[in-house]
Amino acid sequence: MAISVTPEAVSTILSNPSPESSSDVPDLVVQVVDLKATGTSGNRFMFSASDGERKLRAILPSNMSTEVMSGNIQNLGLIRILDYTLNDIPNKPDKYLIVTKCEVVSPPLEMEIKTEVKLETEIKSECRSEGTGILLKPKQENEIKTEMKSEGPGILLKTKQEIVAKSAAQIVHEQRENMAPAARMSMTRRVFPLVSLNPYQGSWTIKVRVTSKGNMRTYKNARGEGCVFNVELTDEEGTQIQATMFNEAAKKFFDRFQLGKVYYISRGTLKLANKQFKTVKNDYEMTLNENSEVEEAGNEEAFVPETKFNFVQIDQLGPYVNANELVDIIGVVQNVSPTMSIRRKSNNETIPKRDITVADETKKTVVVSLWNEHATNLGQELLDIAEKSPIVAIKSLKVGDFQGVSLSAISKSIVLVDPDIPEAKKLRSWYDSEGKESSMASVSSGMSPSSRNGSRSMYSDRVSISYITKNPSLGEDKPVFFSIRGYISFIRPDQTMWYRACKTCSKKVTEALGSGYWCEGCQKNEEECRLRYIMVVKISDGSGEAYFSTFNEEAEKIVGCSADELDKLKSQMEEENSYQLKLKQATWNPYLFRVSVAQHEYNNDKKQRITVRAVAPVDFAAESRFLLEEISKMRVPK
Amino acid sequence: MDTSNPAVFVNAELLRLYVGRRVRAVIQVLQSDGGVVMGKSTDENQIVVKGSPPAPLSKFVEIVGIADSEKSIRAEVWSNFGDSFDTYTYNQLCQLANGEFKHLFL
Repeated sequence: MAISVTPEAVSTILSNPSPESSSDVPDLVVQVVDLKATGTSGNRFMFSASDGERKLRAILPSNMSTEVMSGNIQNLGLIRILDYTLNDIPNKPDKYLIVTKCEVVSPPLEMEIKTEVKLETEIKSECRSEGTGILLKPKQENEIKTEMKSEGPGILLKTKQEIVAKSAAQIVHEQRENMAPAARMSMTRRVFPLVSLNPYQGSWTIKVRVTSKGNMRTYKNARGEGCVFNVELTDEEGTQIQATMFNEAAKKFFDRFQLGKVYYISRGTLKLANKQFKTVKNDYEMTLNENSEVEEAGNEEAFVPETKFNFVQIDQLGPYVNANELVDIIGVVQNVSPTMSIRRKSNNETIPKRDITVADETKKTVVVSLWNEHATNLGQELLDIAEKSPIVAIKSLKVGDFQGVSLSAISKSIVLVDPDIPEAKKLRSWYDSEGKESSMASVSSGMSPSSRNGSRSMYSDRVSISYITKNPSLGEDKPVFFSIRGYISFIRPDQTMWYRACKTCSKKVTEALGSGYWCEGCQKNEEECRLRYIMVVKISDGSGEAYFSTFNEEAEKIVGCSADELDKLKSQMEEENSYQLKLKQATWNPYLFRVSVAQHEYNNDKKQRITVRAVAPVDFAAESRFLLEEISKMRVPK
Repeated sequence: MDTSNPAVFVNAELLRLYVGRRVRAVIQVLQSDGGVVMGKSTDENQIVVKGSPPAPLSKFVEIVGIADSEKSIRAEVWSNFGDSFDTYTYNQLCQLANGEFKHLFL
């Protein structure tokens, strides 16, 4: 007997939206129509499940994607639904079927089994003997269906409202979940899984939890000023997406979005995610504007997902200095500074800052800089309880080299005070028993009085120049950082050692037609520009020598004057040639360098490129102590 | 360069091992008058330096001369080392230069 679709399969599904288990599911064979790929990488498939009379929009589980791609499941084929869940589509009486388990029943039939007139695509069909119904033609993507249980197939829709009212009552009665009447509105929503969203989809609504909320940031760029913040949204399937709001929308939704709460969101726009700034795994990112809708889901409990930490001990922070990787730390608050106002160099804006000093069992302390809201609200909270030496756990800190080693919070940093986690308990008991009394040293001090500019990082990962030059594969995947002590041994006077830069944004400018210079970044013409160094210098130490690239700040320190000033010297026509003299004077000065080593391709040839990231004068006392330490490490244990 | 008679890096403790030999030491000047300078060695003990410094002394001075007793040096060369000096490191140098790395120095 040829298998065909189960009559009234759709009705059956509609009447039991959430079967308890597969055994609860009767025989449901449907025809797969309008099969199409969707989802973030086109590896999930949407279709309409047809029982010959009615259709349900449906989506296949990701584990069945291979079945589709291999051709087992094809459009117009038959599948038996073994387990499923039915979701609502917001603002419509429609439902959305999520097939969780199914099996292939038959390869593609010649045509779609139909009893009613199809509106959307090219299908013609043989009509079944039962009555025909007429579908009200809606927008392309949403078909309005009804689920009048007791009636025959195909219903004539008169007005939306009527049907909604009736179905809502039915649904409320039948739904397993305990939905309060107040949530009736939400019942009629059709919720799309986040995975099905794409920029070309018309209207959608998602039901998501805010799993991370960034601080409000203000910015100023060539086009003006503004404010922005973003949130991380997670839906029931676990898919995540980042949503960003600017200016008016940011102000409108900032207070509405609260960490841990669930919201229905619609009328957002999707675009491909900018890989540089991506924080969650999703090919797309969302932007909400003032017309977007954000409504709190009435009956959902707020759940703040547990923050997962990966703590680094304070005395292990050295290697992370100036790296891209963010760190988490946990420690006892030793000191909280008052709020300071810092003027941002880029746009002259002032932002609040607060420094807290934190210590851990390594008996080292480190300063953590908090900004904006972290500084004001949280900072105040910490100041108030500072006497009790509270424990703070902070996630996602940037490690800088101010005063050797320093930590800085960013927008997405999470600060927990006295968190209920085992590490906090351990820290508390350590502090109460011995930590309180012991003397702590700043992680930067190490063995020497720290100078202002990155002294600690100058003592970590110290290598000789030959170590770098003899290892051509260093920095193959991503740049590696080292510190070096060496002498500037030569600066070629005839190299191109600077470029014309925009006075505002430091990007390279080109000569404009007429006079002045054009900056691509600022999109405007300027009369004057600045010269900025981009210089290659030869550095030598006891082991060898190599050429290092330097940028403006470091080159200025090495040469002792700005590029503009050096240019003036160069153009002076005099006997002494003060330009060459200046360069000569720069040689044979010892410095500590922080360098990065990476690979560069030139004509299929991989070449090592060493770049100076920081320069510091040699602190001889500190250096001597460092050497003593190195000497002691040389000793072979007896 | 005359390497026939290298001066040994000493502090107060090591001085007594090299009586009669040419030594060098950095001291912190405590007192200076009448052809005698009282100095504190880098291991916190007292060393007497005989001789008159040719110029005003800074806080730290290096003396090169002959050890004429367990606690004194007859100065030949005076070098001002300024007002800040890491005595700890110098002291370690003295230990190393007379200990496991003696062969590099003498």
